[in-house]
Amino acid sequence: MQSKFSKARIECIMESLGGLQPAVAPDFFYTRLKGKMQPTEVKKKIFMLRPAFITAALAVLFIANVISLLQADNKIPKQDAMDISGKPATIESFASAYNINTESVYE
Amino acid sequence: MNDRRNYYFPTSKPKPHSPLTEEELLFGLRHGEESAFKELVARFQDKVFNTALGLLQHHTEAEDIAQEVFIQVFRSIQNFKEESLLSTWIYRITVTKSLDHLRSKKRKKRFGFLSMLFGDNNLPVYEPEDFNHPGVLHENKEDAAILFKMIDQLPENQRTAFVLNKVEELSYREIADILNTTESAVDSLLQRGKQNLRKKLNNSPP
Repeated sequence: MQSKFSKARIECIMESLGGLQPAVAPDFFYTRLKGKMQPTEVKKKIFMLRPAFITAALAVLFIANVISLLQADNKIPKQDAMDISGKPATIESFASAYNINTESVYE
Repeated sequence: MNDRRNYYFPTSKPKPHSPLTEEELLFGLRHGEESAFKELVARFQDKVFNTALGLLQHHTEAEDIAQEVFIQVFRSIQNFKEESLLSTWIYRITVTKSLDHLRSKKRKKRFGFLSMLFGDNNLPVYEPEDFNHPGVLHENKEDAAILFKMIDQLPENQRTAFVLNKVEELSYREIADILNTTESAVDSLLQRGKQNLRKKLNNSPP
């Protein structure tokens, strides 16, 4: 098969990197690098936002709530509903407290 | 108007001479000193960028990889055991990151159609135009573009050895240290690389 390039041209191509000057990094390389590094530094500082920390904090809050609820429940003795005078509430006492009676409803 | 390629041309601006020795630099880096990190970047940014550019043949990707290399160096400097030179270690990271990037690019290209349909960003895979290294002599530009196209088709190890030798102009000893091999193995890689390049040029259809 015939080649696109002659033997002489192939040698020229092979030697074309002779005298190559090394490329230099673009200007402001360090500034851009610092910019790229910034988010990771910030992430490290805010350790309180880690999922493990958040989960642990929420669990502690939940347990404290449950304990305080149980303790409050034990302290208050169970009582029946009372009216203003301290006697057990009845339908009559409720009706008299709000100044209503069964008759007034149908009139 | 400024051509983007000119942006990366080697400039003649003098670089400030660093008085820090490698030990002092490492000490500063291990203690998280920003001045030491800045000094490290100033000392190695061109070498890292030039190597990444030779392997990736893409300016923006080479800059991204160069940045990732320095981030990696910053993060894992405590793991550097000083069994090799700092420069060797940095070159090794550059080569690994560049090759990883090439592999993931190839994967994306292979599954390009599927990712275009179902991927997050429904963009077609970008096909780059001919690569022109900014440091190539003006009269060699056309030939160098052809050569880079052929280098792109070489196996990874031959390609790496060729780029480190011809683009970064490292010695066989330095390349052997970077690739964790012997000088004779590097010589053999380069010979095979050149043979493959000649073969590919010979087989180019008219």
